[in-house]
Amino acid sequence: MMDVGRHPNVELLTLSELVGLRGEPGDFVATVRRYPRYVDEDACVGCGDCEAVCPMVAPNVYEHGLGARKAVYRPFPQAVPPAYMIDRDVCLNEEAFLACSKCADACPRGAVDFDQRVRDVDVNVGAVIVATGFDEFDPRVMRNYGYGIYENVMTSLEFERLLSASGPTQGRVVRPTDRKPPRRIVFVQCVGARGEGGQHFCSRFCCMNAVKDAMLAKIHDPNVESMTILYTDLRAFGKGFDQFVQRSHEVDEIRYVRGRPAKIVGDGGGDLTVYAEDTLTGEQVKLDADLVVLSVAARPNETARALAETLGVELNRYGFFRKRDPDSFYLETTRDGIYLCGSAGGPQVIPDCVAQASGAAALAAKHVAACRVPDEVVEVEALDTSGDHRVGVFVCHCGANIAGLLDIQNLVEYARGLDGVVYAADELFACSDTSQRAVQDAILEHKLNRLVVAACTPRTHEPVFRKACEAVGLNAYLFEMVNIRDQCSWVHVGAPGAALARARDQISMAVARARRLEPLHMIDVPVERTALVVGGGVAGLQAALEIARQHFKTILVEKTNKLGGRLNKPSLTKLYPSGRDAEKLIREKIEQLEEAGVEILLNTEVARVDGFVGNFDVELADASGKKKGATKKARVGAIVLATGADLYEPKGEYGYGRHPNVITSLDLEQNFAANAGRALVDGKHPENVAFIQCVGSRCEGGNPGCSRYCCPTTIKQAMMLREHGANVTVFYKDIRTISDGAEEMYRAARGNGVLFVKIAEDDKAEVIGDKAAAAVEAYDVLLKSRVRARADLVVLSTGMVPREPDTTILQSIFKIPRGEDKFLMERHPELGPVETTTDGVFIVGCLQAPKDIADSLSQASAAAAKVARLLARDSVKLEPTVAEVNEELCRGCGQCVEICQFNAPELVQLAPDVYVSRINEALCKGCGTCAVWCPTGAVVARHFTDLQIHTMLETVLQGETDK
Amino acid sequence: MPFDNEKENESKRETEPEAAPSEAKGVLVLGGGIAGIQAALDLADARVKVHLVERGPSIGGRMSQLDKTFPTMDCSI
Repeated sequence: MMDVGRHPNVELLTLSELVGLRGEPGDFVATVRRYPRYVDEDACVGCGDCEAVCPMVAPNVYEHGLGARKAVYRPFPQAVPPAYMIDRDVCLNEEAFLACSKCADACPRGAVDFDQRVRDVDVNVGAVIVATGFDEFDPRVMRNYGYGIYENVMTSLEFERLLSASGPTQGRVVRPTDRKPPRRIVFVQCVGARGEGGQHFCSRFCCMNAVKDAMLAKIHDPNVESMTILYTDLRAFGKGFDQFVQRSHEVDEIRYVRGRPAKIVGDGGGDLTVYAEDTLTGEQVKLDADLVVLSVAARPNETARALAETLGVELNRYGFFRKRDPDSFYLETTRDGIYLCGSAGGPQVIPDCVAQASGAAALAAKHVAACRVPDEVVEVEALDTSGDHRVGVFVCHCGANIAGLLDIQNLVEYARGLDGVVYAADELFACSDTSQRAVQDAILEHKLNRLVVAACTPRTHEPVFRKACEAVGLNAYLFEMVNIRDQCSWVHVGAPGAALARARDQISMAVARARRLEPLHMIDVPVERTALVVGGGVAGLQAALEIARQHFKTILVEKTNKLGGRLNKPSLTKLYPSGRDAEKLIREKIEQLEEAGVEILLNTEVARVDGFVGNFDVELADASGKKKGATKKARVGAIVLATGADLYEPKGEYGYGRHPNVITSLDLEQNFAANAGRALVDGKHPENVAFIQCVGSRCEGGNPGCSRYCCPTTIKQAMMLREHGANVTVFYKDIRTISDGAEEMYRAARGNGVLFVKIAEDDKAEVIGDKAAAAVEAYDVLLKSRVRARADLVVLSTGMVPREPDTTILQSIFKIPRGEDKFLMERHPELGPVETTTDGVFIVGCLQAPKDIADSLSQASAAAAKVARLLARDSVKLEPTVAEVNEELCRGCGQCVEICQFNAPELVQLAPDVYVSRINEALCKGCGTCAVWCPTGAVVARHFTDLQIHTMLETVLQGETDK
Repeated sequence: MPFDNEKENESKRETEPEAAPSEAKGVLVLGGGIAGIQAALDLADARVKVHLVERGPSIGGRMSQLDKTFPTMDCSI
């Protein structure tokens, strides 16, 4: 968020909306209406003097009305831009024309400007991305839930603000009526979703959000007695989501009850009673609650209709932006040049949202690939850091995250007394723009040559402070960050005294280390502006296509003799939800690939890869086994891996392999293909078909998580069978129809007479029969009896597992770690879904985790955007925090070469029998293993030198002896 | 984020749009939530000019209102 505000290539137009669009893809003129802020954005530094004097108070919308703000305000401390604004509806200086100008008088920079007017600005753009998100369903229409009647019934987003340390209660979970911590909380799912309140779709994010909130509520208040989640199906469909739900089972207070409330009634004193039917036991349940949280569904953004009209695009039947092709692609609207991402096209979870956003960026970029702007070179004169150490220390409150437990003033005073410290101060949110400016001012004013910030985690915020340092000429590596939030205030909630002592120790260590830091400079390496895509399935095709369309040379390799992977007949016939022919999609993509000039190499596999980001040397080999040795060598700057997953192979369970009429969903798909869409088994069309879900998913021995594609696939196949009159029964644990149109398909299937039998999480359906399957039997938890469905065909809906040996080979070539589920691991589950820990190597499609076609294509497009970020320049900057060798101390023993996982050190012969180790900086990850191992101390891990580490240890141990 | 100044007086509007900037053609991103921000950053880092339009006074959208995100439980800001 901060990055986008400061990016030289981003023009931020807040308080603005699109009012006109003319022209065509590649050459649009957009008219943007800019509403007045009444505060000059450039002049305002966010000091807050105006707010202090403003006499008017209004509810704070950002806090969902749970807090208050002034007429002149900033929505939240880390707002971007950081400028204040005036709400003229509340301001006295509006219609009443009272001559109140207290804020203008108080502003030291003269930033308040009551004369600002609405103005229209034209911008020339090649493409448009719609990312307008969603609005929340208003639960007031469901009067039986009591929202708006009882204060202690709140929405999930309101509850989220209560949990937030920067929220209106500083993270204390209290209920609105008496401000007391609720002991009994009930979460109600699907409020306004899946048929409730007139909306039929599933909002995707609410199940996991409720689980998360319940877990957080327990952390915030260990005395909470019970938290009940009233759910319909638990849709933990994403990577790692099922495992997340498993973690919640370890919290004793969290209880899951399947059912929806009939009504929620208040007793007049703030306590509530939730009446519901537990649909698993069939019993009426009466839950006493101090607080009820309604997981409200998403609904289309209120501006969607007007915006769609301005853009000339269509909305779908619910009012979300319509996807041109919901079967396979979520990123295109119904008009060329206008793309879609996130919840504007229907509710999304954050990882999918982020992948779609990057994907939309790739699609939009192709219209303007010829007008890339040159990098802005900002020359900042380096500060003179010689002379005595002058350390500045900033201690961050992080709202109440840190200040709620630790005495910040105590820490500031303590820091002030440490050797070398010439300045110490505290900041409410050190990451906010205003605080960053304060830090920069202090660096200049007090001539600081070392900076220490005690705040949150360097994982997310170190880059923010490094940039702030660089902007005023202080070398970024003279900055040291201390994590007193995660490591002190969060983990030692019950022991404030000890937490404070620990924070003091950590700060003293950081200051000691800061004094030993040395300036380092980024390493510049050239970039070969060519991309390699490995795998010619639909994800690989899409990635290659979108890279090539941005004018980058692209090579696509496919192991088999045919592009299209699993989308080819006979693996797949029709796409859900439309029933469109799958092969047609592949044919279109191949035509587009050829048009875009992608070099396609069939029967080819990657034999060897050397090098590093921007400079991978790849050896390709013949995969058919006919030719030996490398068939082609290429140097590429970036690599996209898209080798897919395998379908789980049942190992004899459910009679598979013994009974001829027990087949997998893939077998059925092939059967459809061979028989013109009508299944044929032993010369007969099956009359009674039973599907068994989650075979090899959500279990040991297969994929521990959800395989995502199988529920909608089964429903599609069930509908195809039903069309020809077959009786179809589906044995399932949860129906997770989360893809576009799938929930509707599910409803239609139920309407068409497909029977659904819900079995318990830990139960298994049983296939009955001697030589062939005759029936499937299981305990139906909803009917509460054992159910037997006759079956002359049993279909096992198999999940996805990592493809072997391909995944293992790629893992060893590229050093990409694998997750608990054995799929290759992305850099960050929410924010880096296609990047890996290896720079320049990206993973898309089912190689990363099971997903369906549309989600695979979003990810593939996202990887194209990431590749473009890299290939848009002739060189790439790498971290200088790598190992280096003191050649005078090195005796050339070669132990570092042996121990390094990344092949960074190399022995170089200087004279006969005289060797030294040299480190390839671009390959080195700075892990420090070689520095520890080196018997002569010749290898030094930069930025983590022995001297720096020893100084820290000495400091903390010295402190111990002093005590 | 509801829009506080929406009911702006029509008569206050200056009718003539300002001249279109003649610089390199960019991409218009509508919405400054997590999706809009991510799209804008990917484009800007690939040296594409971005105009990011947000209705409210700050970017950040709904994710900035969340306390933490699943499954990592990381800070949302």
